[in-house]
Amino acid sequence: MKARLLVLAVLLAVTAGLPHAQTPEAPTILVTRQLAERDGLAVGDHVRLAPDSKGARVQTFRVAGIYEPTPDPMRLGSVPLAVRMHLPDLLRLTRDPSVPEGAEHIEAINIALVDPADAEAFSRDLNARAVGASSQPTRRPASFGTTFVVLERFHTAIAAVTILAATVFLLALTIMLVEERRETVGVLRLIGLPARRILLQVLVEGVVVAGLGALFGLALALGSEGLINRFFQWRYDTALVFVRITPRVAAICLAIAVPLGAAATVAASWALLRRTGLRLARR
Amino acid sequence: MMAPLAFAWRTLVRQPARSALGVLGVAAVGALLLDMLLLSEGLVLSMRELLDRMGFDVRVTAGEALPGAGPDIANATAAAAAIAALPSVRRVTSIRSEDAELRFRDQRVDGVFLGVGADARLWTIVRGREPTAPREVVVNQYAAETLRIEPGATLTLSAYCGTEDAAPPALSFRVSGVAELPFERPGTASGATLLADLEAACGEPGAGLADFLAVTSAGDASAAAAAIAAARPDLTAFTNDQLIGRMQQGGFTYFRQISTVLATITMTFALLLITVLLTVSVNQRLGEVAALRALGFSQRRVVLDVLCESALIVGTGGALSVPIGLLLAGWLDAILKRMPGIPTQMHFFVFEPEALGIHAGLLAATALLAAAYPMRVVARLPIAATLRNEVIS
Repeated sequence: MKARLLVLAVLLAVTAGLPHAQTPEAPTILVTRQLAERDGLAVGDHVRLAPDSKGARVQTFRVAGIYEPTPDPMRLGSVPLAVRMHLPDLLRLTRDPSVPEGAEHIEAINIALVDPADAEAFSRDLNARAVGASSQPTRRPASFGTTFVVLERFHTAIAAVTILAATVFLLALTIMLVEERRETVGVLRLIGLPARRILLQVLVEGVVVAGLGALFGLALALGSEGLINRFFQWRYDTALVFVRITPRVAAICLAIAVPLGAAATVAASWALLRRTGLRLARR
Repeated sequence: MMAPLAFAWRTLVRQPARSALGVLGVAAVGALLLDMLLLSEGLVLSMRELLDRMGFDVRVTAGEALPGAGPDIANATAAAAAIAALPSVRRVTSIRSEDAELRFRDQRVDGVFLGVGADARLWTIVRGREPTAPREVVVNQYAAETLRIEPGATLTLSAYCGTEDAAPPALSFRVSGVAELPFERPGTASGATLLADLEAACGEPGAGLADFLAVTSAGDASAAAAAIAAARPDLTAFTNDQLIGRMQQGGFTYFRQISTVLATITMTFALLLITVLLTVSVNQRLGEVAALRALGFSQRRVVLDVLCESALIVGTGGALSVPIGLLLAGWLDAILKRMPGIPTQMHFFVFEPEALGIHAGLLAATALLAAAYPMRVVARLPIAATLRNEVIS
């Protein structure tokens, strides 16, 4: 069936621009936005479809509407050039001339139960009664979501390495900044402030600076979110959302950035505060 | 040039903690950058290597879809014979794969059953030998482990070849060997045999269907593809380059895009941090630099000192980043290979010398750009005013 639909899509592109007889009673189809854009189709246009690339048994259809296909992350990169039609029209179009009408083959029937919890029992019952048909409750295939779990792990791993690199740089910077304040800290020690009090002050400063930095980072991420999404949506011609800064993501960022920044400041100051006031204040 | 380098080295050694952290930071960022460079072309290189390894340079399909994704080729035997007769073609093999169930005693596993033309051997034998007699099969390592079979065992195989739900015939096959099959997926049992035996397992002897025809050209793949297209306009011929090109337009682009984005962010991040690191370091040593200028160091010399400092930090970090990056690439590759449908032999991160060259070039550019602002600070330093400020403070 997949192959047939592919042929249909390809043939549509071939025949859409050809002259044809206007048939007011032509069956209707919907075409994807991407196909309509590619072939310049509009609502009300007539197109001819055939079940194979040779154009045999061609039929005319009227474009009743243009739809945005449901974004499918599994088909990222492939432009959805597809049409939707009523099942009887599809069967009429694709039926082998040797197959009598009403004896066509279809692949599956989707059934919505009144109570979805009955799915297992209904399926068992149907399998026992309908010989030649195989019924099974709708389940997510095992691979569904695995791709995204893997991608999430990959992005987490990349984020971990980035955080590691950022921490190292942060530590180097705070060591330099703390060193710059060596004399000030020495004077504070000499006038009687205990190391613990100065360390607390450094910690508060670290938390404030890290908090402000994290908020700036979040603002930057929120600002670039739309930009990144628009770029990838344009690149892949899809309505998929690639980046979404959720409250959870923002909370995780803050939960990592603020303690990390504060810890780096304290760790850098710790070595300095172990020295005596006189040593710190010397020139 | 040695004098500024030695001087920069002494400056860095004087502050071991900040220097070591700077180098470590560059190593981590450099490792990430190297990985993104390996990722950007990894899938393409891996796929090309896999396609080339099979020994065919043209694939022929029934439609526009990639091999294995479109409709079957009907009358494949006749098509193969017609293509084999072309002067630009050396050999042609029909390839067909179907879903199958493999059983051995009380063990059973679903998998893929591959059938190939008589003269083709697409797999690498790990144990045992090639299937030479009728009803012989090679299985992959996963099937051997799952069914607990070794060469010599006899398994029962049912191939699901039709579109209708019909009970397939169950045939006995003797396992001649365990092999590494092309494009086999982790956790998927696979078996391979001659095409005639696959057709028998499908209950369609002489059906003559094929997913695609694999062609080895006489030397010029493009000429062979053109000749095939002219001889059989109902079929589509892809060279390996064209196949790679099609794949690059599809799902492969995601990883290239993400690697470009991440590499750009990584570079910006590294540039920003090294600039800050050097600028703060230089600002702390303004008095020292002014004193050196007063002692007779030229403007060019102190600027070179800063540049050498940047080069040493980035150079040492960059050198460290290569082994770290390769280790990290192995780890990230293992994560991504858990994606469903990725063949065992395929890799997302593939090392190539060109990537190492780009990595070195980008890091060198980073060192240069990061040193630009602190070099400007040092170059424009007013000697007398700086020394006076030092004395007063």
